[in-house]
Amino acid sequence: MAKGMFVDTSICTGCKACQVACKEWNGLPGEPAHFHTVPDRPYPVAFNFTGNSYDNTGKLSATDWRHVRFIEQFNEGRTEGRWFFSSDSCKHCKDAGCLNACPVKAIVRTDMGNVNVQQDVCIGCKYCIPACPYGVISFSEQTGTVHKCTLCNDRIHNGLGTACAKACPTGSISFGEVEDLKKKADGRLAQLKGLGFLKANIYGYSEAGGLNVFYLFMDDPAVYGQPINPVVPQRRLFRSAAITVVTAIAIAAAAIMSFRERGIQKNKEVTP
Amino acid sequence: MSPESQAPRWEWYYIAMYFYIGGVSAGAYFIGSLVELLNKKELRQVSRTAYLIAFPLICITPVLLIADLGQPVRFWHLFFYTKDGMPYMNLTSPLSVGTWALLVYSGMSFLSFLNVLAGEGRLPSEAIKKFHTLFNRVPHKVYAAAGSFFGFFVAGYTGVLVNTTARPLWEASDPLFGPIFITSAASTGAAALAVAMLWQKSTARDAFAHLERFDRVVMIIELVLIGAMIVVAGRYAAPLLTGQFGVMFLGGTVLLGILVPLWLTWRRAASGAANDSMAMLAAVLVLFGGLMLRISLVQAGQL
Amino acid sequence: MIMGSNMAECHPVAFRWPLQAKTDHGAVLMHVDPRFTRTSALCDIHAPIRAGTDILFLGAIINQVINSTRWNTDLFFKEYVVNYTNAAILVNPDYKDAEDLDGIFSGMSKDGKSYSTDTWAYQRGPKPNPAVSEAKTFTDLLLQHVPGRPKTDLTLQNPQTVFQILKKHYRRYTPEMVEKVCGCPKETFLKVAETLLNNSGRDKTSNITYAVGWTQHTVGVQIIRLAGVLQALLGNIGRPGGGILALRGHATIQGSTDIATLYHSLPGYLNMPDARKNHETLKDFILTEAGPVATSYWGNYPKFAVSYFKAQWGDAATKENNYGYDYHPKITDDHSHLPMFVHMMEGQIRGFFVMGQNPAVGGQNARFQRKALAKLDWMVVRDFYETETSVFWKNSPEIKSGELKTADIKTEVFFLPAACVAEMEGSFTNTQRLLQQHEKAADPPEDARSDIWFTYDLGKRLKKLYANSPNDHDWPIRNLFWDYEPEPSEVENFRIKDEPSAHKVLKEINGYTWADKKPLPTFANLKEDGSTVSGAWIYTGVMPEDGVNKARNRQGDNWISPNWGFAWPANRHIMYNRASADLQGKPWSEKKKLVYWDPNKEVKDPSGKIIRGSWVSPAGEGIDFQPTKAPNFRGRDNGIGFDWLSGNDPYIMKPDGKAWLFAPAGTVDGPLPTHYEPYESPTPNLVYKQQSNPLAKTWFVEGNPYHKVADPKYPIVVSTYRVTEHHLSGTMSRWLPWLAELMPELFCEISPELAAEKGIKNAEYMTIETARGEIQARALVTRRMRPFMINGKVIHEIGLPWHWGWQARAEGDVANNLSALVADPNVTIHEGKVFTCNVRAGKRGGAA
Repeated sequence: MAKGMFVDTSICTGCKACQVACKEWNGLPGEPAHFHTVPDRPYPVAFNFTGNSYDNTGKLSATDWRHVRFIEQFNEGRTEGRWFFSSDSCKHCKDAGCLNACPVKAIVRTDMGNVNVQQDVCIGCKYCIPACPYGVISFSEQTGTVHKCTLCNDRIHNGLGTACAKACPTGSISFGEVEDLKKKADGRLAQLKGLGFLKANIYGYSEAGGLNVFYLFMDDPAVYGQPINPVVPQRRLFRSAAITVVTAIAIAAAAIMSFRERGIQKNKEVTP
Repeated sequence: MSPESQAPRWEWYYIAMYFYIGGVSAGAYFIGSLVELLNKKELRQVSRTAYLIAFPLICITPVLLIADLGQPVRFWHLFFYTKDGMPYMNLTSPLSVGTWALLVYSGMSFLSFLNVLAGEGRLPSEAIKKFHTLFNRVPHKVYAAAGSFFGFFVAGYTGVLVNTTARPLWEASDPLFGPIFITSAASTGAAALAVAMLWQKSTARDAFAHLERFDRVVMIIELVLIGAMIVVAGRYAAPLLTGQFGVMFLGGTVLLGILVPLWLTWRRAASGAANDSMAMLAAVLVLFGGLMLRISLVQAGQL
Repeated sequence: MIMGSNMAECHPVAFRWPLQAKTDHGAVLMHVDPRFTRTSALCDIHAPIRAGTDILFLGAIINQVINSTRWNTDLFFKEYVVNYTNAAILVNPDYKDAEDLDGIFSGMSKDGKSYSTDTWAYQRGPKPNPAVSEAKTFTDLLLQHVPGRPKTDLTLQNPQTVFQILKKHYRRYTPEMVEKVCGCPKETFLKVAETLLNNSGRDKTSNITYAVGWTQHTVGVQIIRLAGVLQALLGNIGRPGGGILALRGHATIQGSTDIATLYHSLPGYLNMPDARKNHETLKDFILTEAGPVATSYWGNYPKFAVSYFKAQWGDAATKENNYGYDYHPKITDDHSHLPMFVHMMEGQIRGFFVMGQNPAVGGQNARFQRKALAKLDWMVVRDFYETETSVFWKNSPEIKSGELKTADIKTEVFFLPAACVAEMEGSFTNTQRLLQQHEKAADPPEDARSDIWFTYDLGKRLKKLYANSPNDHDWPIRNLFWDYEPEPSEVENFRIKDEPSAHKVLKEINGYTWADKKPLPTFANLKEDGSTVSGAWIYTGVMPEDGVNKARNRQGDNWISPNWGFAWPANRHIMYNRASADLQGKPWSEKKKLVYWDPNKEVKDPSGKIIRGSWVSPAGEGIDFQPTKAPNFRGRDNGIGFDWLSGNDPYIMKPDGKAWLFAPAGTVDGPLPTHYEPYESPTPNLVYKQQSNPLAKTWFVEGNPYHKVADPKYPIVVSTYRVTEHHLSGTMSRWLPWLAELMPELFCEISPELAAEKGIKNAEYMTIETARGEIQARALVTRRMRPFMINGKVIHEIGLPWHWGWQARAEGDVANNLSALVADPNVTIHEGKVFTCNVRAGKRGGAA
């Protein structure tokens, strides 16, 4: 049975405990790109203020495996105001672009359905990075390999849940069997729709073949920076390969036609 | 489209350069192989030149590819899965399949290279002589057919590789990169052959004329494919049409790499004169345009 | 209603409960705040108000409620208010209200700096005959001074009733006034008021939750009190789902006020002996402090006080020396943080212990406080990071600017490494009065030690130093009962073997009989004859017998969870819960049933006799009332404590047994909360002539200049606050890379309107200045900040989280450089939540 997480953004308070719990459990350092050395300071200082609401993390990286997004929607008259929060991470897709792209089998799916990078196998070719529709998996200059959320692989194989779900104070992130989580999500969606939140939607039942880490959004997924109806890139592989083969045949034909004699010395035997 | 996909941060001097050099090598090689299939004496110089330049070019590429890796010493993982030591290939990964294809192609181009040298008596060793005999037992057409297949594969798989990702430009232009790369490989391969042949000075004129004609056809096909790609990619083609990569792509590839050479060869054909320097210029421009094509397509997708 | 609090950001773990109430039970969450914060995002309603106008907003809700049809027709409100509050009590006819005196009350002194409360007092019946003729004990003393019962008019029509006074006082607090003064749209205000009213009554209750957004004002105490008044009028106090929740600002700070690290109180909220009051002898002390409140459960004050003194000095505390009271230190002044620093600046303070505190960043007018530190002879800093305070002498803005020179600073600074929370054992007291045992997980590294180790060791050394001193003023330390040596089992798993026994400390706090050292099960067992000790009477019961520590209990259920931890007093979770039943002792409704009178329940009294009739709570809730007192019991007119209180007096800690809508005593700045503008305000008071709190504590000293009212140089309102990502002055959070990168720099939240006006661009630097100093911050331009339309004029407000200092991985200017030393007159809490400033684009000092 596949394990996963359900992220109910309607009860997320944007506290970022999930980001910190993830770092703590996985022993991740502060994101190197966010710190620089300053003269007469014996420690690196953070300088990553973005001005983008309360989000200074920016995006997922090799050391940021969770990233809380902040979306402000206010009209000028302040009569309508909403502030959405959404904790982004690897979706552990049922059909994973990164796994499909890896040429060395460094990226594997465990018996619990989560997708992991075997750090001792990865060669750092970085091909998995653009293969992910969500921009999750990232390269680390320090290790020369790629990293991403492991769904707390060690924890879940020892009877525990994910660190982020445990730390989440409101229960916005819940860990469990994907089928059970779906029931919970459906219930919550129905409740929200009943309360008049008609734009609420579940993201991840069918997207990219189905996501083991799926979301309840209160607005269009594009508002949360998620692609609408993403397709795992490898689904296009057959068509791409086929068209390329056709082109090859066409070029070959062009070559053969160009290099043939203009009918004069056809069929003449030529010794090599 | 995926607003969130990340760029692999492949350096232009490693990956785009590999696409280019690999393309030139493979393009020259499959032209040489196809020509050999036709089995015409006067075209032999084409094949021969092709085999002589394909292998040295492809030798550069592993260096580029391995240098780009985060863990270069582990490159052999591409062939053997470390956990069980068995050979490994991932059919859903163009990178995996392509790497094997590159391996086979390298081997084939090496044998072809060796065979040409051996055939011309340039390698006096006994082992080489034995090899030459054995090699020529295999029917040439078979080897040539296989050779051209692997040549096309190496030329085109990199385009498929790039398209099989979620970067907006690359996803939007799917499935045209493979065709464009093959076409460009053919064009730049032919141009490389042209340069090599002009350099030798003892050019078989007929063969050269055929080569030029081939390159003209290919360049037109390339233009059509590029046009189709821009249309298909729509607004996601913007990074390719603006800024520094716009200059590289439109100025470097389309203008200098295709339109100008086309005009030059048309001028040459029309004037009838065998203007070698114009031919050389056209060929060099085509080569330049091919490099610009790879760099702009690969780097613009990473913006 | 969450007001004066940003609960989701500052109490994120606690916030899950209101959120769960919303998602699972349809609760309506409302957030009243100048900014739209992460709390507002999760609430159903956000009502924006200009900082510092909370009293007007709350008073307007009261005005709305008491004039509404529902409140006047639903008999629940009438029954609750008439019988459980002091609404019906008559006040001195000479009383003059703020409505009569344009913003002040009768009794103001000539210098305008204090009130005499005589005119605020109740009208009372004649004094009863004392129950004793001779005062043999302290209790007897109190029995001799019982006043007459307050006079009442149960129809509430008499203009001298508290209710009519209240009604008159708030009659101009209208929705229009709210819009004019608070800048909150009328419709939004009405929605809040309607929601509260409609969610109160027999079947529903509403809760109000607040934090330092209410406390840190010159009218802080009055704001909070007004919420109490509102909740009492709505019948929400003492009832499940109702009440007022104060969200405290630090872990276990509830414990720190319970066990009193405050200068002006003794543990258990007894008062500190004060040389300015009639506290000459223990008798005087008890009469002065307990006398006015003896007709409440405070009538047992003598037992609490004597048990406390006995706990301090053990055998040395005898009847002859008044249990050590004669030697107990007495305060002579306001020794709280702000005046202490003023004295420090004047050179009057020699040495200073700074334990887990960082005044160099956290103190108001931080520059003033940093410069004051330079006047000390010595300072001991205990912390586990090198805080700004610990290095003020070698690295600070004042050192950088040359204002202070290291060579000239004579302060000797000792930095002692402290243990952190996982390295200490002890009980934790949370904001809802819940004690939970907190276990030590590991030793602190090397020489780092816990605060209890340090204090115990310091005490031991001082005792040794003073052992042979003949001086009276050294008697308290010489004779201090100071044995908290650990049992072997307490330290066997750890490296530090001399860690004092937190268990012994808690046992002493709980209390035990001195002779046999047996723990006391309840504070009802405390005696005034020196036979019992108790460090803090309110905690009695946490250790009811040897070997039992209720703070360790961990059995929760879906509601009261009486077997999870220990809630003082006596494991009562909802105070005044007698009020959850009506006059007959029946629950107001089945839905809101908590505590009720069972006339047939049989219980044994202390002598073993069977009594019929008792208050019960099936949910396991502690009964905050005399358990066997029937609802119709009439208290004795000349009794004290429980004897005086009747069966319908739920507010057992008030001397009239009622909730105080009107405060005849206790608040120095008025019996009824009144809208005063903050000390620094961009607008004159639009409700009264009296601009701001007349009794606000101010210090007109060098380095502490104030802005004028509506000062054109400083027209912008500024508020300081906190965010989830950092903790207070950042001493614990800004060193941690995981937190430093979440919020790396000081930023200022500013509306697009103000930013456009000043040419300030998002993410670029801006400068904020006051007469106290100027700082730079990154601009965060957001529509969550809004301009307020106050009386037709646009008033802008900006916001500054104050977590940053110059040390650590996330650095920024000190926001508190901007604020002034100005405070509430009741408790000297600083007004940090609202003052004025000006802003401009660019870095401070004129750089771009």
